[in-house]
Amino acid sequence: MSDAVTVVALLLVAASATAAVAQRDPARQALVLSFLGMVLAVLFTVLQAPDVGLSQLAVGSALTPLLIMLSVRKVRRRGRTKEERT
Amino acid sequence: MNGWILAATVELGGGGAAALWGVATGPPARRLTAQNLTTSVVCPALLLLAQGYARPAYVDLALLLALLGPVGTLVFARLLSGEQVSGPNVRGATWTAAGLDAAVVVAVCAAVGPGRSMVKLLLIGTLLIGGNIIASRALAGGFRGVGGG
Amino acid sequence: MTRRTAPRAFLLAAGELLAWWAGLALLWLVLITTVDTLERIVGASCAAAGALAARAGRRAVTWR
Repeated sequence: MSDAVTVVALLLVAASATAAVAQRDPARQALVLSFLGMVLAVLFTVLQAPDVGLSQLAVGSALTPLLIMLSVRKVRRRGRTKEERT
Repeated sequence: MNGWILAATVELGGGGAAALWGVATGPPARRLTAQNLTTSVVCPALLLLAQGYARPAYVDLALLLALLGPVGTLVFARLLSGEQVSGPNVRGATWTAAGLDAAVVVAVCAAVGPGRSMVKLLLIGTLLIGGNIIASRALAGGFRGVGGG
Repeated sequence: MTRRTAPRAFLLAAGELLAWWAGLALLWLVLITTVDTLERIVGASCAAAGALAARAGRRAVTWR
């Protein structure tokens, strides 16, 4: 019974990771990925590893989405200028 | 397994499932709103877990999330400004989440009792609710002039 | 002319720095686990550095 919270966190991690893979658009993947980052931090906390959870929060909640969104924007902009040229 | 961890389990299960459903399906406006609400769901769960495990140091995770969660939402609001969002349910969902946050913070504060740790909890609650409201206003386009998006 | 307005500007700057320092030091004292002498010293110096940075940032935003 005391493992219920672990099971819930594990289920959320598995479901959100599957959902992140199943998305087609990279921007929507980034949204699900930030959710996955936060839930993963909860999982680490539940497994008594708050230090890992801290670094996971720092990287997963703001930094990874920022990197993905910046690269998505750059790729889209490059594609747009290439379309205009041709 | 004490009541705090049970409460965290229920809160994380219900809120997390709802937020995951919102963030993985539907139109972009709803996804962004759900991403904003994820912070308001996960942060009280972390507070409840810290109280349940009787480890005040775990509160730091909630503090960091209360700081960084709205930052992540603002990143999305700034970089996804092409597909502008103002869903009808944003206001209700935001205030529901703020009420949940306030209830959890008050409950944990009552358990902790007066002192420095209570001030820390109140600071986390203020950051959480204020960041949530700021991020949802930015999502609704309230800060478009400031953000330059 | 700068000579004449100097004391007032200096007082204003010192007051702002002191307010930032007090706020940041209070924040440090609230957020740490155990309060002892070493933490107080480190917190006071970090709050001083943070006060300088905060005033610089505030001026940069105001001038825009």
